[in-house]
Amino acid sequence: MASRTLDVWQHRKVVRHLVRRDLKVKYQNSILGYAWSMLEPLAMACVYYFVFGVVFAATGGAREAPGGPDAPGGYALFLLSGLLPWMWFSAALSDAPRALTTHSKLITTMKVPREIFPLAIVQTKFVEYLLTWPVLLMFVVVLRGETGWNFFWVIPAIAVQFILSLGMTLLLSSINVLLRDVERIVRILNRVLFYSTPVIYPLFRVTEIDALPDWFKWLYQHNPLAGIFQMHHAVWYASEAPPASVLWTTVGGAILVMLVGYVTFRRLESAVLKEL
Amino acid sequence: MAEPIIEAERLGIKFATNRRRKRSLREMFIHGNRRDPNRGASDFWALRNVSFTITKGECVGIVGKNGTGKSTLLKLIAGVLIPDEGRVTVRGKVAPLLELRAGFNDHLTGRENVYLVGALHGMSNEMLQERFDEIIEFAEIESRFIDTPVRHYSSGMKVRLGFALISQLEHPIMLVDEVLAVGDKSFRNKCYDAIERMLQNQRTMVLVSHNEGDLKRFCDRGLYIKNGELVLDTDIKAALDAYNADTKAEIAKRKKKSKAA
Repeated sequence: MASRTLDVWQHRKVVRHLVRRDLKVKYQNSILGYAWSMLEPLAMACVYYFVFGVVFAATGGAREAPGGPDAPGGYALFLLSGLLPWMWFSAALSDAPRALTTHSKLITTMKVPREIFPLAIVQTKFVEYLLTWPVLLMFVVVLRGETGWNFFWVIPAIAVQFILSLGMTLLLSSINVLLRDVERIVRILNRVLFYSTPVIYPLFRVTEIDALPDWFKWLYQHNPLAGIFQMHHAVWYASEAPPASVLWTTVGGAILVMLVGYVTFRRLESAVLKEL
Repeated sequence: MAEPIIEAERLGIKFATNRRRKRSLREMFIHGNRRDPNRGASDFWALRNVSFTITKGECVGIVGKNGTGKSTLLKLIAGVLIPDEGRVTVRGKVAPLLELRAGFNDHLTGRENVYLVGALHGMSNEMLQERFDEIIEFAEIESRFIDTPVRHYSSGMKVRLGFALISQLEHPIMLVDEVLAVGDKSFRNKCYDAIERMLQNQRTMVLVSHNEGDLKRFCDRGLYIKNGELVLDTDIKAALDAYNADTKAEIAKRKKKSKAA
């Protein structure tokens, strides 16, 4: 694994070119360009704000930010701080199955470590996520969001999410070459994960429900994605910082996914190359 | 003798035949292995037991019928297929002239594609800038088209641009697969000159072609592959003679059969 990692590192320029190309292709044929990558999460945020922040609030099932409706930043910032990194994750997830198939021509003629194609996808989406930060900061100012030392949660949040996304992309891209069902499964998975992860609602809303059995709550909290998004939220809402046990399972889960993804990728590599 | 630059040891690769279609997960889970549409499919060895070494500066031609594994062998050398048996060692970077349009993105312009694909093949930015005009001139692409997206190019333009670009690579090993068959006469002549120029600096080339003239022109050694096995490893003339003799025998046999019927 070490030599392969080194190999990928030596091809980092290729990754950079792939990333740049994808961004270029994405933005050059549209007038609004960069604005599009912001418009989508903002439109989603508006919809969720209307449903959960206005409609449900009026009927008693208030969805407010941690710290009550008057917390700095309010529910709007809470939504954005979850939705923007979620866009990164879900875009990578939905592109993952095609990571190798779209580059079949390149892969069958050029010797490069094949891992760079999944890596390029995760990285492209990561750059797009970084590009949303100026807008997020604008909202922070407008909505008077507050942060402090808890701002540094952003570092582990991004690091762990990167590892998890990469492992997942490695896994899905290689399996999809042999079994095309993966693309369909991913579409469902994307939806399911979105609602079963505290992206648009605070985690405590679930743990508060008495009707849910304890094992379910435990499982829910220790889903690696839950930990990642708690960290993203914790940047602006210190109370959301995940406890140590959640942190460990999040990091461990991400590393496990990465390992499984990598081993699967290597195992299937020979068959994948024949199939492409 | 110098260390061989390409070394193949008992190389073998197999493909699954009779794979009518890909299995879906539903079939795999519900029916297990009982209703595998590919069951009973036997493996087919596209290449087996192929061993040879190529030293620096050699130019080797591979001859054989269609579907006997010539291109597969090139792909194994290029490292874009992984052998099931044996191994292939390549000492040095490889310039693959296998699929010349590979890597061009339809949405980008010719200029952007040259920079992208060149970089993917390991050319530096300065090198590309320096040689950009030369590449365009070689490819005979008018300057007003170079900033047009490649999807508007004719297929000939794409192939020419691909050849012009990849022939600029200074990698010590070249793998050429039938690419000389493309383009019109005048362009083909330019390709010949380019290849001859490339061969001058002690570069190694492996060429797959059905054109006897090409093979005799460039190669001094020939590998004859028949049914996935390396049957002859001699000079190019002997390899071609053996291939032609086999082809003749086959044609004669076919004629006899049709007469009998």
